[in-house]
Amino acid sequence: MNYPIWELYYLNSGTLVAMISILHVFISHFAVGGGIYLWLTDLKSVRQNDLALRQYVRRHLWFFLLLTMVLGGVSGVGIWFIIGLSNPWATSILIHTFVFAWAIEWVFFLVEIVSLLIYHYKFETLTDKNRLIIAFIYAASAWLSLFIINGIITFMLTPGDWLSTGKFWDGFFNPSHLPSLLFRTAVCIMFAGLFGFVTAVYEKDEKLKNTLLKYCNKWLYSALPFLLFSGIWYFFSIPENTRFTNFILNKQTSQPLSIFIITSILIYLFGLIFILRTKKIFQRFIVFLFLLLGLFWIGGFEYMREYARKPYIIHGYMYSTSILVAHEESLNREGILKKARWTEVREITEENKIEAGKELFNLQCLSCHTIKGIKNDIVEKTKGLTYLGIYSQIYGQGKILDYMPKFVGNEKEMDALAAFIASLHDKREEILAEFKPKEEEIKIPNFNPKEDEYILLAWSILGEKCITDADRWFSFLYPGSTFQAILIKRGKKPEIMSEGIEIHYEVQKGYENPSKHVDFWKFVESLKGKTLPKDIGISGKGLKGIFDYDSNKKIFTAEGIPVLPYRDDGVFNPYPLFEVKAIEKNTGKVLQSTKFVAAVSTELRCFLCHGGKPRWNGISGISDETAINILKIHDRNHGTKLLESALKGKPMMCQKCHEDFIVKSEGIKGHNSFSASMHGWHANYIPWKDEKSCNLCHPNDSMGNTRCNRDIHAKLGIGCTQCHGRLDDHAAGVLLSQKETRTAHLLLKNLKTELPLHDINPRKPWIQQPDCLNCHRGFQQPQKNSKAFNNWTRDLSGLYRARKDNSSKIPCIACHSSPHAIYPAFNDFGSNRDNIQPLQYQRMPLALSSEMKCEVCHKIKMEGSFHHANIYRKFRNIHLISK
Amino acid sequence: MELPNLIPYPEPIPAPPEIFIILEQTFFLIHILLINSILGLSIILSYKWAKEKEFFENNRPLAKKIPLFFALGINMAIPALLFIQVVYGNLFYTSSILIGTFWILIIPLLILAYYSSYFHYRKFGLSSYAKHALLFMMLIVLYIAFILVNNLSIMEMPQTWNAYFSNREGTIILWNLNSIYPRYLHFIIASIAIGGLVYSFYFRNKVDRDNKVREGLKIFAYATMIQIAVGIWFLLSLPKGVMIKFMGENTIATIILLSGIATAFISIVVSLKGKLKESLIFLSLTLISMIINRYHLRVFNLGENFSLSHLKVSPQWDVFALFLFVLLTGIVIIIYMLKIAFQSKMR
Repeated sequence: MNYPIWELYYLNSGTLVAMISILHVFISHFAVGGGIYLWLTDLKSVRQNDLALRQYVRRHLWFFLLLTMVLGGVSGVGIWFIIGLSNPWATSILIHTFVFAWAIEWVFFLVEIVSLLIYHYKFETLTDKNRLIIAFIYAASAWLSLFIINGIITFMLTPGDWLSTGKFWDGFFNPSHLPSLLFRTAVCIMFAGLFGFVTAVYEKDEKLKNTLLKYCNKWLYSALPFLLFSGIWYFFSIPENTRFTNFILNKQTSQPLSIFIITSILIYLFGLIFILRTKKIFQRFIVFLFLLLGLFWIGGFEYMREYARKPYIIHGYMYSTSILVAHEESLNREGILKKARWTEVREITEENKIEAGKELFNLQCLSCHTIKGIKNDIVEKTKGLTYLGIYSQIYGQGKILDYMPKFVGNEKEMDALAAFIASLHDKREEILAEFKPKEEEIKIPNFNPKEDEYILLAWSILGEKCITDADRWFSFLYPGSTFQAILIKRGKKPEIMSEGIEIHYEVQKGYENPSKHVDFWKFVESLKGKTLPKDIGISGKGLKGIFDYDSNKKIFTAEGIPVLPYRDDGVFNPYPLFEVKAIEKNTGKVLQSTKFVAAVSTELRCFLCHGGKPRWNGISGISDETAINILKIHDRNHGTKLLESALKGKPMMCQKCHEDFIVKSEGIKGHNSFSASMHGWHANYIPWKDEKSCNLCHPNDSMGNTRCNRDIHAKLGIGCTQCHGRLDDHAAGVLLSQKETRTAHLLLKNLKTELPLHDINPRKPWIQQPDCLNCHRGFQQPQKNSKAFNNWTRDLSGLYRARKDNSSKIPCIACHSSPHAIYPAFNDFGSNRDNIQPLQYQRMPLALSSEMKCEVCHKIKMEGSFHHANIYRKFRNIHLISK
Repeated sequence: MELPNLIPYPEPIPAPPEIFIILEQTFFLIHILLINSILGLSIILSYKWAKEKEFFENNRPLAKKIPLFFALGINMAIPALLFIQVVYGNLFYTSSILIGTFWILIIPLLILAYYSSYFHYRKFGLSSYAKHALLFMMLIVLYIAFILVNNLSIMEMPQTWNAYFSNREGTIILWNLNSIYPRYLHFIIASIAIGGLVYSFYFRNKVDRDNKVREGLKIFAYATMIQIAVGIWFLLSLPKGVMIKFMGENTIATIILLSGIATAFISIVVSLKGKLKESLIFLSLTLISMIINRYHLRVFNLGENFSLSHLKVSPQWDVFALFLFVLLTGIVIIIYMLKIAFQSKMR
């Protein structure tokens, strides 16, 4: 931001740095090792009085000079040129901090050149002794050059105490200096052997050639133990968190790592081929392959070393985006465009947003990313992300996968950058239209308070069962709602019926064929490891059937009913009705019948960020495109092969790896639970923290197709976050419950929680939830500003859907309805759709027995608050329903 | 865009700037002499190119010198570039980026030129491609010089930097700057002059010495005559405010310029008389004057955009002392090695 940016979008300066540097280090290590090789080989020729060997040294010297002095020397200057263009500020810091070190290195280089030229041009005329002195001077000065450069390169990775003292010597003799010096010296020895083969295979004297090939192998192999030892030392001299970030989190590192390992093995195997007696032509071919392997080997190593430094150019001091760590905070506050020197845009407006985004791209992305270019193409990287997805990516960048620097700048700048990157994509995004729910009339079932002997109450245990309908690709929520019911025999002392009766259920017309709408039944074997008849749920029940009686819970239950929000007539209604009848077994007499809503939605709007559009009739669900994008990003970030597996017809449940109580999966040990992963990961990326963020994935957007938070709380303006916490706090709760995983810590570290992290109580997803009584203390009217967040139910038995009244017979949910649909509910698909049972039994949409209507069950008026405290009273918010 | 906003922050420097300026100018002088020699010798060789065996026999040692000069020339460019980056780093990195594409092309082209010089030397008299290699090498040197002249001119004239906002691809060349052409020509003519002098210096102890020495000195003299004219053109092409500083407004600058011109004149006279040693002495004086002129030009061009007093100095005297020690040791070792090499020649 201090300097202009060289605007190369196809072949960015970072790639040029890599190309020039790899070529240079390949030759420069040879320049050092080869110098020692020449000196010692020449010495050997003198000691053994071997003229033929000396002639070989002569020839090798010419090859050495041409390669190292011209290509090696100039490419070294090339690195200096290119880093100055690519990252001038960092280069300037390196030059200014180490100018005298560079100057000393230059002196060594000068001595190198002069000695090499004398060695070459005076080879024949020098005495043996003098020639060897010259060769030694060359070797020594070349190694001293390495010594100096090594100090500066390692400084960038581990600046050590320099960060606090700013002293030259602290920077130069930094923690990785010595291991790196040893490693590179070993590389030099290895390369001396490697390049030695090149001239050796051209030796005409067969005997000498074979001797030389063995000799070169000695050089190659003698470096091996040092390489191993110093390599390991070097690796462990890098700070642990940096190792984790760049060798585990950064999947990009695995490529150079594999190249490094494979070429290491091949180089050492190939060396042995030269011992075997093979044809000349074969040897000459192999030797060039050998050089190529060496180039890849050193390239792999240098790439790893560069990656290890990420996200910095000077570790802990300057990011690879040329932004000083010390400036980060103020730039976030004030904006980077105001402070950057070489930008035309200072203030962002709607008109110049894209242009501003381009400036920001230049400032913060271009050093590593190209635009439709040869490496790290930003268009390719953001393929599958919408504008919002890109925005989120920028927001979350560097937080979990911290090998990338965080975006530095304010929100407007983030927006401009996202808009610019989105504008690079050919595809234009469609603006999502508001969904207009079609209100449907419902007929409230009959109830005669005087004559009817029974009250039948039935409900879905979830206020909104969500379903991922991308079964071909993955699933984390398959069809399968759970219903419960009780039959109460009315009377002064009502009785809960369990014997001699059956409770039947049947879905509303149009919802009977879920298999026509989703592929769950095609892939259920891969997803759940079993086969199922079409339209039958995981527990063997279909859309019409009989409840089971759960004698433990003393309740009728029907599990795994595969109801979907998709109707055969093409209508999307996430509130299908079920008709329920209690039938006397002996007589077949219908004792009572009622209806309830089994709320179910596929409105997980992954497409908002991950691209694609709603799958089912353009209304809801996860399309192939969205699902593929999600799998690709998961595969990329976590090294999985989920897409490949899905393409082979074997989609997976996310919970196969990520433990999840709700689908009874234990996952893989060490992985975060599904909820912790989803919330933890996305909280780091989603730029909003209020309900807007919840509604991106949960079906509650006020313009969306479900609007699931439809109860009295919502009507009173109580949103998700008051009970569940803001996104980061919510995520922190579930992450804290699995501190034993390494990634939980990673996901937590950048969350901006409202409550201090140490004050957030760990919460086991699905098992613990905010307790209603947090606000309704003693079943009373909540205090103003009371919040349910952070006080969790102890275990499953404390959940609202599991709790019962003082008699321990009547579940709370039976009288109050499903969570998020608590009576009185206000459903946009029909004002009373969620209030059928209270309307049926007491002609008002309030919780059963509200307004002291004890007679609903007791047939007569009762007194006092028996079922729970404060029950015997008037409904406080009656104005809401009278409107 | 307002200019002061564009000039990047400088970094603190590890010793007083004067030290780096002196070091930069010294090594630049050595570097440019070596490059002048390469180009000058190449021009002379290609001009005199003949198919006679004698031409190749006589000039082979000169052909051999070119790659040697390359090695040393590149080496000497390093301290010059290093020290300029210490004092003027914030300006130099900026100008390098503005001309970035052309600037980085120097590297592959230099490699080709360097190899061409070796090819030329190895095939001198053996292949007709040797001359092509030499011409190719000269073209590259001319390219590099042109880019360097542009880079340094951009560096010295931040008022040209606004061009970045219409060209960010690193291909800014100051085609519209009047002084670019004489400045560049100044380098080419200097190369011919220096080439002539190196030519005559080389032949000073050879058979047929007089002819060759005179020939080289003549080349030097005529080139220097032209150079004086080019120099005046260069002076007149400068922005008026800068030009008048050399014409009396700044006494020191004027004296040094005039003394440089005077010594140049003298060197022409002595070289025409065939006096090699005197020519070398007066050329050296001229060069010292010119290198100071060059520095003055930079200071005048930069004007208020740069001041040494703005640089924060946080000294590293211990490391500086170490550098001086290493430099001296290096020089001693080089002298020792040359001695050995020289002895071997005697042997």
